[in-house]
Amino acid sequence: MSTAALPARGRAALGPAWAWLALVAAGFLLWTVLDARLARDLLDWLPYLASGFAMNILISVLAMSAGTLAGVTLGAMELSASRLVRAPAVAYVQVFRNAPHLVLIFATTYIFPFEIVVAGNYLPFPDWLKAVFGLAIPASAYVAEIVRGAIQSVPTTQWDAAKGVGMSRGQTLRWIILPQCLRRALPPWMNLYASITMSTALASLVGVHELLHAATDASTAVRRDDFTIAVYLTVLAAFFLFCFPISRLTRRLERRFAPR
Amino acid sequence: MIDQAVRTFVALAGEVGLHYDFLLSPSEVRPWIAGMGTTLLLVLLAIPLSLAAGVAFAAALTSGRPWLAGPVRAYVELTRNTPTLVQLMFAFFALNMLLSKALGGAANNPFTPFFWVVAVTGLHIAAFHAEALRGGIEAVPAAMVETAHAIGFSSFEVLRYVTLPLALRTAMPAIVNNLVNLVKLTTIGSAIAVGEVTYASIMIWTQRDNVLELMIVILLFFGFINTVLSQIGRYVERRLAVPGYGV
Repeated sequence: MSTAALPARGRAALGPAWAWLALVAAGFLLWTVLDARLARDLLDWLPYLASGFAMNILISVLAMSAGTLAGVTLGAMELSASRLVRAPAVAYVQVFRNAPHLVLIFATTYIFPFEIVVAGNYLPFPDWLKAVFGLAIPASAYVAEIVRGAIQSVPTTQWDAAKGVGMSRGQTLRWIILPQCLRRALPPWMNLYASITMSTALASLVGVHELLHAATDASTAVRRDDFTIAVYLTVLAAFFLFCFPISRLTRRLERRFAPR
Repeated sequence: MIDQAVRTFVALAGEVGLHYDFLLSPSEVRPWIAGMGTTLLLVLLAIPLSLAAGVAFAAALTSGRPWLAGPVRAYVELTRNTPTLVQLMFAFFALNMLLSKALGGAANNPFTPFFWVVAVTGLHIAAFHAEALRGGIEAVPAAMVETAHAIGFSSFEVLRYVTLPLALRTAMPAIVNNLVNLVKLTTIGSAIAVGEVTYASIMIWTQRDNVLELMIVILLFFGFINTVLSQIGRYVERRLAVPGYGV
Protein backbone atom coordinates (compact mmCIF):
# COMPACT_ATOMS: atom_id res chain seq x y z
CA MET A 1 0.00 0.00 0.00
CA SER A 2 2.71 2.42 0.99
CA THR A 3 4.76 1.44 -2.06
CA ALA A 4 1.95 2.52 -4.36
CA ALA A 5 1.66 5.89 -2.65
CA LEU A 6 5.35 6.73 -2.88
CA PRO A 7 5.84 7.43 -6.63
CA ALA A 8 2.69 9.55 -6.68
CA ARG A 9 4.04 11.77 -3.92
CA GLY A 10 7.35 12.10 -5.72
CA ARG A 11 5.67 13.29 -8.87
CA ALA A 12 3.52 15.76 -6.96
CA ALA A 13 6.67 17.27 -5.44
CA LEU A 14 7.66 18.59 -8.86
CA GLY A 15 4.07 19.55 -9.76
CA PRO A 16 4.06 23.36 -9.95
CA ALA A 17 7.71 23.39 -11.03
CA TRP A 18 6.82 21.74 -14.35
CA ALA A 19 4.68 24.75 -15.16
CA TRP A 20 7.55 27.12 -14.34
CA LEU A 21 10.11 25.11 -16.31
CA ALA A 22 7.69 25.08 -19.27
CA LEU A 23 7.22 28.85 -18.88
CA VAL A 24 10.99 29.44 -19.04
CA ALA A 25 11.29 27.23 -22.13
CA ALA A 26 8.29 28.87 -23.82
CA GLY A 27 9.68 32.36 -23.12
CA PHE A 28 12.99 31.42 -24.75
CA LEU A 29 11.28 29.84 -27.78
CA LEU A 30 8.92 32.79 -28.20
CA TRP A 31 11.87 35.20 -28.12
CA THR A 32 13.70 33.37 -30.92
CA VAL A 33 10.51 32.95 -32.97
CA LEU A 34 9.62 36.65 -32.73
CA ASP A 35 13.13 37.76 -33.67
CA ALA A 36 13.70 36.27 -37.15
CA ARG A 37 17.31 37.42 -37.41
CA LEU A 38 18.21 35.84 -34.08
CA ALA A 39 16.46 32.60 -35.05
CA ARG A 40 18.36 32.47 -38.35
CA ASP A 41 21.73 33.08 -36.69
CA LEU A 42 21.04 30.46 -34.04
CA LEU A 43 20.01 27.92 -36.69
CA ASP A 44 23.18 28.70 -38.66
CA TRP A 45 25.34 27.96 -35.65
CA LEU A 46 23.33 24.98 -34.42
CA PRO A 47 25.36 22.28 -36.29
CA TYR A 48 28.59 23.78 -34.92
CA LEU A 49 27.17 23.79 -31.40
CA ALA A 50 25.89 20.22 -31.85
CA SER A 51 29.36 19.02 -32.86
CA GLY A 52 30.61 20.61 -29.65
CA PHE A 53 28.03 18.83 -27.54
CA ALA A 54 28.90 15.50 -29.17
CA MET A 55 32.41 16.04 -27.79
CA ASN A 56 31.00 16.63 -24.29
CA ILE A 57 29.14 13.34 -24.46
CA LEU A 58 32.15 11.49 -25.87
CA ILE A 59 34.40 12.79 -23.09
CA SER A 60 31.85 11.98 -20.39
CA VAL A 61 31.25 8.42 -21.64
CA LEU A 62 34.97 7.62 -21.95
CA ALA A 63 35.85 9.26 -18.61
CA MET A 64 33.06 7.41 -16.85
CA SER A 65 34.00 4.05 -18.42
CA ALA A 66 37.64 4.41 -17.45
CA GLY A 67 36.66 5.79 -14.03
CA THR A 68 34.32 2.88 -13.39
CA LEU A 69 36.91 0.25 -14.31
CA ALA A 70 39.55 1.86 -12.10
CA GLY A 71 37.02 2.70 -9.37
CA VAL A 72 35.73 -0.87 -8.99
CA THR A 73 39.32 -2.05 -8.54
CA LEU A 74 40.08 0.72 -6.04
CA GLY A 75 36.86 0.07 -4.14
CA ALA A 76 37.73 -3.60 -3.80
CA MET A 77 41.25 -2.63 -2.69
CA GLU A 78 39.78 -0.34 -0.02
CA LEU A 79 38.11 -3.40 1.53
CA SER A 80 41.18 -5.61 1.39
CA ALA A 81 42.29 -7.29 4.60
CA SER A 82 45.89 -6.29 3.91
CA ARG A 83 46.91 -2.78 4.92
CA LEU A 84 49.51 -2.75 2.17
CA VAL A 85 46.74 -2.99 -0.44
CA ARG A 86 44.24 -0.83 1.45
CA ALA A 87 46.41 2.19 2.27
CA PRO A 88 47.30 3.36 -1.27
CA ALA A 89 43.67 3.03 -2.41
CA VAL A 90 42.37 4.98 0.60
CA ALA A 91 45.00 7.70 0.05
CA TYR A 92 44.20 7.95 -3.67
CA VAL A 93 40.46 8.30 -3.01
CA GLN A 94 41.04 10.85 -0.25
CA VAL A 95 43.32 13.06 -2.38
CA PHE A 96 41.32 13.02 -5.60
CA ARG A 97 37.90 13.42 -4.04
CA ASN A 98 39.13 16.66 -2.50
CA ALA A 99 40.76 17.89 -5.74
CA PRO A 100 38.88 20.39 -7.95
CA HIS A 101 38.02 18.87 -11.34
CA LEU A 102 39.34 21.95 -13.11
CA VAL A 103 42.74 21.56 -11.46
CA LEU A 104 42.92 17.90 -12.51
CA ILE A 105 42.05 18.82 -16.11
CA PHE A 106 44.81 21.45 -16.09
CA ALA A 107 47.18 18.86 -14.61
CA THR A 108 46.59 16.18 -17.22
CA THR A 109 46.59 18.71 -20.07
CA TYR A 110 49.92 20.25 -19.18
CA ILE A 111 51.75 17.29 -17.69
CA PHE A 112 50.94 14.64 -20.33
CA PRO A 113 53.00 14.88 -23.54
CA PHE A 114 51.31 16.01 -26.78
CA GLU A 115 52.32 12.78 -28.50
CA ILE A 116 53.32 9.35 -27.34
CA VAL A 117 55.70 6.88 -28.93
CA VAL A 118 54.33 3.38 -29.38
CA ALA A 119 56.76 0.95 -31.05
CA GLY A 120 58.50 3.74 -32.92
CA ASN A 121 55.27 5.36 -34.13
CA TYR A 122 54.41 8.87 -32.98
CA LEU A 123 50.77 8.88 -31.94
CA PRO A 124 49.13 12.24 -31.24
CA PHE A 125 47.74 12.66 -27.72
CA PRO A 126 45.01 15.29 -28.27
CA ASP A 127 43.76 17.65 -25.58
CA TRP A 128 40.29 16.11 -25.48
CA LEU A 129 41.78 12.73 -24.58
CA LYS A 130 43.79 14.37 -21.81
CA ALA A 131 40.54 15.89 -20.52
CA VAL A 132 39.09 12.35 -20.47
CA PHE A 133 41.91 11.32 -18.12
CA GLY A 134 41.50 14.51 -16.10
CA LEU A 135 37.87 13.58 -15.39
CA ALA A 136 38.46 9.82 -15.12
CA ILE A 137 40.69 10.43 -12.08
CA PRO A 138 38.01 12.03 -9.85
CA ALA A 139 35.38 9.66 -11.34
CA SER A 140 37.43 6.64 -10.25
CA ALA A 141 37.79 8.07 -6.73
CA TYR A 142 34.01 8.58 -6.45
CA VAL A 143 33.21 5.15 -7.98
CA ALA A 144 35.58 3.57 -5.44
CA GLU A 145 33.56 5.10 -2.59
CA ILE A 146 30.27 4.02 -4.20
CA VAL A 147 31.53 0.45 -4.63
CA ARG A 148 32.93 0.31 -1.10
CA GLY A 149 29.64 1.56 0.34
CA ALA A 150 27.59 -0.86 -1.75
CA ILE A 151 29.64 -3.90 -0.73
CA GLN A 152 29.67 -2.89 2.94
CA SER A 153 25.90 -2.38 2.91
CA VAL A 154 25.39 -6.15 2.49
CA PRO A 155 25.67 -7.83 5.92
CA THR A 156 28.39 -10.50 6.02
CA THR A 157 25.90 -12.91 7.62
CA GLN A 158 24.32 -13.29 4.18
CA TRP A 159 27.49 -15.09 3.02
CA ASP A 160 27.12 -17.52 5.91
CA ALA A 161 23.39 -17.95 5.26
CA ALA A 162 24.00 -18.68 1.56
CA LYS A 163 26.67 -21.21 2.51
CA GLY A 164 24.16 -22.73 4.90
CA VAL A 165 21.70 -23.44 2.09
CA GLY A 166 24.50 -25.02 0.08
CA MET A 167 25.60 -22.26 -2.31
CA SER A 168 29.20 -21.98 -3.47
CA ARG A 169 31.12 -18.70 -3.05
CA GLY A 170 30.69 -17.90 -6.75
CA GLN A 171 26.97 -18.61 -6.61
CA THR A 172 26.59 -16.48 -3.50
CA LEU A 173 28.37 -13.60 -5.17
CA ARG A 174 26.36 -13.92 -8.39
CA TRP A 175 22.87 -14.47 -6.95
CA ILE A 176 22.92 -12.92 -3.46
CA ILE A 177 25.59 -10.23 -3.05
CA LEU A 178 26.01 -8.59 -6.47
CA PRO A 179 22.29 -7.94 -7.14
CA GLN A 180 22.07 -6.05 -3.85
CA CYS A 181 25.30 -4.15 -4.52
CA LEU A 182 24.05 -3.08 -7.94
CA ARG A 183 20.82 -1.73 -6.47
CA ARG A 184 22.77 0.33 -3.94
CA ALA A 185 25.36 1.52 -6.42
CA LEU A 186 23.27 2.34 -9.49
CA PRO A 187 21.58 5.60 -8.33
CA PRO A 188 24.78 7.28 -7.03
CA TRP A 189 26.65 6.02 -10.10
CA MET A 190 24.10 7.72 -12.36
CA ASN A 191 24.34 10.91 -10.31
CA LEU A 192 28.09 10.78 -10.78
CA TYR A 193 27.67 10.35 -14.54
CA ALA A 194 25.49 13.48 -14.71
CA SER A 195 28.04 15.36 -12.59
CA ILE A 196 30.95 14.25 -14.80
CA THR A 197 28.98 15.26 -17.91
CA MET A 198 28.54 18.74 -16.47
CA SER A 199 32.25 18.88 -15.63
CA THR A 200 33.14 18.27 -19.30
CA ALA A 201 32.34 21.96 -19.85
CA LEU A 202 35.58 22.66 -17.94
CA ALA A 203 37.52 21.21 -20.89
CA SER A 204 36.71 24.40 -22.81
CA LEU A 205 39.22 26.18 -20.56
CA VAL A 206 42.09 24.08 -21.94
CA GLY A 207 40.96 24.64 -25.53
CA VAL A 208 38.97 21.46 -26.22
CA HIS A 209 36.32 22.06 -28.87
CA GLU A 210 33.19 21.24 -26.87
CA LEU A 211 29.83 22.99 -26.45
CA LEU A 212 30.87 25.90 -24.23
CA HIS A 213 33.92 26.53 -26.40
CA ALA A 214 31.73 26.45 -29.52
CA ALA A 215 29.33 28.92 -27.90
CA THR A 216 32.18 31.31 -27.12
CA ASP A 217 33.39 30.99 -30.73
CA ALA A 218 29.90 31.72 -32.03
CA SER A 219 29.41 34.67 -29.71
CA THR A 220 32.74 36.28 -30.70
CA ALA A 221 32.01 35.68 -34.41
CA VAL A 222 28.51 37.18 -34.43
CA ARG A 223 29.27 39.93 -31.87
CA ARG A 224 25.70 40.79 -31.03
CA ASP A 225 24.36 41.06 -27.48
CA ASP A 226 21.07 39.28 -28.09
CA PHE A 227 22.90 36.43 -29.83
CA THR A 228 25.40 36.10 -26.97
CA ILE A 229 22.56 35.73 -24.48
CA ALA A 230 20.67 33.29 -26.71
CA VAL A 231 23.70 31.13 -27.42
CA TYR A 232 24.61 30.74 -23.73
CA LEU A 233 20.97 29.96 -22.96
CA THR A 234 21.15 27.27 -25.66
CA VAL A 235 24.18 25.76 -23.91
CA LEU A 236 22.34 25.74 -20.58
CA ALA A 237 19.31 24.15 -22.27
CA ALA A 238 21.41 21.43 -23.93
CA PHE A 239 23.02 20.37 -20.65
CA PHE A 240 19.68 20.56 -18.85
CA LEU A 241 17.87 18.42 -21.43
CA PHE A 242 20.63 15.81 -21.15
CA CYS A 243 21.11 15.77 -17.36
CA PHE A 244 17.59 16.38 -16.07
CA PRO A 245 16.12 13.08 -17.37
CA ILE A 246 19.08 11.24 -15.81
CA SER A 247 18.47 12.89 -12.45
CA ARG A 248 14.70 12.17 -12.61
CA LEU A 249 15.40 8.52 -13.43
CA THR A 250 17.94 8.37 -10.60
CA ARG A 251 15.39 9.64 -8.10
CA ARG A 252 12.85 7.11 -9.35
CA LEU A 253 15.33 4.26 -8.94
CA GLU A 254 16.31 5.53 -5.49
CA ARG A 255 12.69 5.34 -4.41
CA ARG A 256 12.20 1.91 -5.95
CA PHE A 257 15.37 0.46 -4.42
CA ALA A 258 14.88 2.13 -1.03
CA PRO A 259 14.99 -0.43 1.77
CA ARG A 260 11.53 -0.86 3.21
CA MET B 1 65.01 32.94 8.84
CA ILE B 2 62.02 32.31 6.58
CA ASP B 3 64.27 33.23 3.65
CA GLN B 4 66.78 30.63 4.74
CA ALA B 5 64.09 27.97 5.14
CA VAL B 6 62.69 28.70 1.67
CA ARG B 7 66.18 28.51 0.16
CA THR B 8 66.80 25.15 1.84
CA PHE B 9 63.43 23.85 0.64
CA VAL B 10 64.08 24.96 -2.96
CA ALA B 11 67.50 23.28 -2.87
CA LEU B 12 66.09 20.05 -1.41
CA ALA B 13 63.21 19.97 -3.92
CA GLY B 14 65.73 20.58 -6.70
CA GLU B 15 67.60 17.47 -5.57
CA VAL B 16 64.57 15.29 -6.36
CA GLY B 17 63.88 17.14 -9.62
CA LEU B 18 61.09 19.50 -8.52
CA HIS B 19 61.59 23.13 -9.52
CA TYR B 20 60.29 25.53 -6.90
CA ASP B 21 62.71 28.30 -7.95
CA PHE B 22 59.86 30.79 -8.30
CA LEU B 23 59.62 30.90 -4.50
CA LEU B 24 62.86 32.92 -4.52
CA SER B 25 61.41 35.62 -6.78
CA PRO B 26 59.24 38.01 -4.75
CA SER B 27 57.47 39.40 -7.84
CA GLU B 28 56.12 35.90 -8.57
CA VAL B 29 55.51 34.73 -5.02
CA ARG B 30 53.49 37.76 -3.95
CA PRO B 31 50.60 37.37 -6.46
CA TRP B 32 50.66 33.63 -5.80
CA ILE B 33 50.22 34.03 -2.04
CA ALA B 34 47.60 36.68 -2.78
CA GLY B 35 45.86 34.07 -4.95
CA MET B 36 45.58 31.74 -1.95
CA GLY B 37 44.14 34.65 0.01
CA THR B 38 41.61 35.31 -2.77
CA THR B 39 40.53 31.66 -2.75
CA LEU B 40 40.05 31.80 1.03
CA LEU B 41 38.08 35.03 0.72
CA LEU B 42 35.88 33.52 -2.03
CA VAL B 43 35.21 30.55 0.22
CA LEU B 44 34.52 32.68 3.31
CA LEU B 45 31.98 34.82 1.40
CA ALA B 46 30.33 32.04 -0.61
CA ILE B 47 29.75 29.70 2.37
CA PRO B 48 27.46 32.07 4.34
CA LEU B 49 25.69 33.07 1.11
CA SER B 50 25.04 29.43 0.22
CA LEU B 51 23.77 28.64 3.73
CA ALA B 52 21.45 31.66 3.93
CA ALA B 53 20.04 31.11 0.44
CA GLY B 54 19.79 27.36 1.06
CA VAL B 55 17.67 27.89 4.19
CA ALA B 56 15.46 30.38 2.33
CA PHE B 57 14.99 27.98 -0.59
CA ALA B 58 14.22 25.07 1.75
CA ALA B 59 11.64 27.23 3.56
CA ALA B 60 10.02 28.08 0.22
CA LEU B 61 10.05 24.43 -0.94
CA THR B 62 8.31 23.23 2.22
CA SER B 63 5.96 26.22 2.57
CA GLY B 64 3.07 24.39 0.92
CA ARG B 65 2.36 27.47 -1.22
CA PRO B 66 2.54 26.52 -4.92
CA TRP B 67 3.38 30.07 -6.07
CA LEU B 68 6.43 30.05 -3.79
CA ALA B 69 7.51 26.40 -4.02
CA GLY B 70 7.01 26.20 -7.81
CA PRO B 71 9.57 28.77 -8.99
CA VAL B 72 12.10 27.72 -6.34
CA ARG B 73 11.75 24.05 -7.31
CA ALA B 74 12.24 25.05 -10.97
CA TYR B 75 15.35 27.07 -9.99
CA VAL B 76 16.74 24.15 -7.98
CA GLU B 77 16.28 21.73 -10.90
CA LEU B 78 17.79 24.17 -13.40
CA THR B 79 20.82 24.83 -11.20
CA ARG B 80 21.49 21.21 -10.31
CA ASN B 81 21.32 20.02 -13.90
CA THR B 82 23.51 22.57 -15.68
CA PRO B 83 27.30 23.08 -15.37
CA THR B 84 28.36 25.79 -12.94
CA LEU B 85 30.95 27.06 -15.42
CA VAL B 86 28.22 27.68 -18.01
CA GLN B 87 26.15 29.47 -15.37
CA LEU B 88 29.15 31.64 -14.56
CA MET B 89 29.77 32.42 -18.24
CA PHE B 90 26.10 33.24 -18.70
CA ALA B 91 26.07 35.46 -15.61
CA PHE B 92 29.27 37.23 -16.56
CA PHE B 93 28.92 37.59 -20.33
CA ALA B 94 25.13 37.99 -20.53
CA LEU B 95 23.72 39.32 -17.24
CA ASN B 96 26.75 41.46 -16.42
CA MET B 97 26.75 42.89 -19.94
CA LEU B 98 23.05 43.77 -19.68
CA LEU B 99 23.71 45.41 -16.30
CA SER B 100 26.57 47.43 -17.74
CA LYS B 101 24.31 48.58 -20.58
CA ALA B 102 21.54 49.55 -18.16
CA LEU B 103 23.97 51.47 -15.93
CA GLY B 104 25.53 53.32 -18.86
CA GLY B 105 28.89 51.65 -19.49
CA ALA B 106 31.12 49.10 -17.81
CA ALA B 107 32.78 51.87 -15.78
CA ASN B 108 29.55 52.41 -13.83
CA ASN B 109 29.01 48.72 -13.16
CA PRO B 110 29.85 47.94 -9.54
CA PHE B 111 29.72 44.17 -10.09
CA THR B 112 33.20 42.68 -10.44
CA PRO B 113 34.13 39.18 -11.69
CA PHE B 114 34.85 38.38 -8.04
CA PHE B 115 31.23 39.22 -7.16
CA TRP B 116 29.89 36.94 -9.90
CA VAL B 117 32.00 33.98 -8.74
CA VAL B 118 30.72 34.35 -5.17
CA ALA B 119 27.12 34.78 -6.36
CA VAL B 120 27.10 31.92 -8.88
CA THR B 121 28.95 29.32 -6.76
CA GLY B 122 27.07 30.33 -3.59
CA LEU B 123 23.62 30.18 -5.20
CA HIS B 124 24.51 26.96 -7.04
CA ILE B 125 25.44 25.16 -3.81
CA ALA B 126 22.40 26.72 -2.09
CA ALA B 127 20.21 24.56 -4.33
CA PHE B 128 21.96 21.46 -2.97
CA HIS B 129 21.62 22.70 0.64
CA ALA B 130 17.92 23.32 -0.02
CA GLU B 131 17.40 19.72 -1.13
CA ALA B 132 19.22 18.37 1.92
CA LEU B 133 17.28 20.64 4.30
CA ARG B 134 13.95 19.87 2.61
CA GLY B 135 14.58 16.18 3.24
CA GLY B 136 15.32 16.97 6.88
CA ILE B 137 12.24 19.16 7.29
CA GLU B 138 9.97 16.51 5.77
CA ALA B 139 11.51 13.89 8.04
CA VAL B 140 10.34 15.72 11.18
CA PRO B 141 7.46 13.64 12.61
CA ALA B 142 4.10 15.15 11.65
CA ALA B 143 2.89 14.86 15.23
CA MET B 144 5.64 17.23 16.37
CA VAL B 145 4.58 19.87 13.82
CA GLU B 146 0.91 19.47 14.73
CA THR B 147 1.74 19.85 18.41
CA ALA B 148 3.62 23.07 17.70
CA HIS B 149 0.66 24.42 15.73
CA ALA B 150 -1.68 23.36 18.51
CA ILE B 151 0.17 25.37 21.16
CA GLY B 152 -0.15 28.45 18.94
CA PHE B 153 3.05 28.55 16.81
CA SER B 154 2.66 30.26 13.44
CA SER B 155 3.99 28.53 10.33
CA PHE B 156 7.14 30.66 10.51
CA GLU B 157 7.65 29.88 14.17
CA VAL B 158 7.25 26.16 13.51
CA LEU B 159 9.98 26.44 10.89
CA ARG B 160 12.23 28.63 13.04
CA TYR B 161 11.93 26.74 16.34
CA VAL B 162 10.89 23.19 15.44
CA THR B 163 11.50 21.85 11.95
CA LEU B 164 14.57 23.81 10.83
CA PRO B 165 16.69 23.12 13.94
CA LEU B 166 15.96 19.40 13.60
CA ALA B 167 16.48 19.45 9.81
CA LEU B 168 19.85 21.19 10.24
CA ARG B 169 20.99 18.26 12.36
CA THR B 170 19.92 15.53 9.95
CA ALA B 171 21.24 17.50 6.95
CA MET B 172 24.64 18.32 8.48
CA PRO B 173 26.68 15.58 6.70
CA ALA B 174 25.14 16.50 3.33
CA ILE B 175 25.72 20.22 3.95
CA VAL B 176 29.40 19.68 4.80
CA ASN B 177 29.72 17.58 1.64
CA ASN B 178 28.16 20.43 -0.38
CA LEU B 179 30.56 22.94 1.21
CA VAL B 180 33.54 20.79 0.19
CA ASN B 181 32.19 20.92 -3.36
CA LEU B 182 31.77 24.68 -3.03
CA VAL B 183 35.43 25.07 -2.12
CA LYS B 184 36.40 23.07 -5.22
CA LEU B 185 33.98 25.07 -7.39
CA THR B 186 35.68 28.40 -6.64
CA THR B 187 38.45 27.35 -9.06
CA ILE B 188 36.14 28.21 -12.00
CA GLY B 189 36.81 31.84 -11.10
CA SER B 190 40.02 31.45 -13.11
CA ALA B 191 37.82 31.31 -16.25
CA ILE B 192 36.91 34.99 -15.84
CA ALA B 193 40.33 36.10 -14.60
CA VAL B 194 39.60 36.22 -10.87
CA GLY B 195 43.08 35.94 -9.38
CA GLU B 196 42.46 32.93 -7.15
CA VAL B 197 45.07 30.26 -6.54
CA THR B 198 44.54 28.35 -9.82
CA TYR B 199 44.72 31.52 -11.89
CA ALA B 200 47.83 32.73 -10.04
CA SER B 201 49.44 29.33 -10.60
CA ILE B 202 48.66 29.40 -14.33
CA MET B 203 50.49 32.74 -14.48
CA ILE B 204 53.59 31.08 -12.99
CA TRP B 205 53.61 27.80 -14.90
CA THR B 206 53.15 29.48 -18.29
CA GLN B 207 56.49 31.22 -17.55
CA ARG B 208 58.38 28.41 -15.87
CA ASP B 209 56.77 25.20 -17.10
CA ASN B 210 56.60 23.73 -13.59
CA VAL B 211 53.00 22.46 -13.66
CA LEU B 212 53.60 19.36 -11.55
CA GLU B 213 55.25 21.34 -8.74
CA LEU B 214 52.40 23.86 -8.53
CA MET B 215 49.80 21.12 -8.89
CA ILE B 216 51.15 19.40 -5.77
CA VAL B 217 50.82 22.64 -3.81
CA ILE B 218 47.30 23.33 -5.12
CA LEU B 219 46.12 19.82 -4.23
CA LEU B 220 47.65 20.15 -0.73
CA PHE B 221 46.04 23.58 -0.36
CA PHE B 222 42.55 22.34 -1.24
CA GLY B 223 43.10 19.17 0.76
CA PHE B 224 43.95 21.36 3.76
CA ILE B 225 40.89 23.65 3.40
CA ASN B 226 38.57 20.68 2.98
CA THR B 227 40.07 18.79 5.92
CA VAL B 228 39.55 21.84 8.14
CA LEU B 229 36.00 22.20 6.81
CA SER B 230 35.18 18.54 7.50
CA GLN B 231 36.62 18.82 11.02
CA ILE B 232 34.51 21.91 11.74
CA GLY B 233 31.49 20.09 10.31
CA ARG B 234 32.10 17.08 12.52
CA TYR B 235 32.57 19.32 15.60
CA VAL B 236 29.33 21.23 14.91
CA GLU B 237 27.51 17.96 14.31
CA ARG B 238 28.67 16.62 17.68
CA ARG B 239 27.81 19.85 19.50
CA LEU B 240 24.33 20.01 17.99
CA ALA B 241 23.50 16.34 18.44
CA VAL B 242 20.21 15.79 20.27
CA PRO B 243 20.48 12.59 22.31
CA GLY B 244 17.93 10.08 21.08
CA TYR B 245 16.94 11.98 17.93
CA GLY B 246 17.85 10.59 14.53
CA VAL B 247 20.38 7.83 13.98
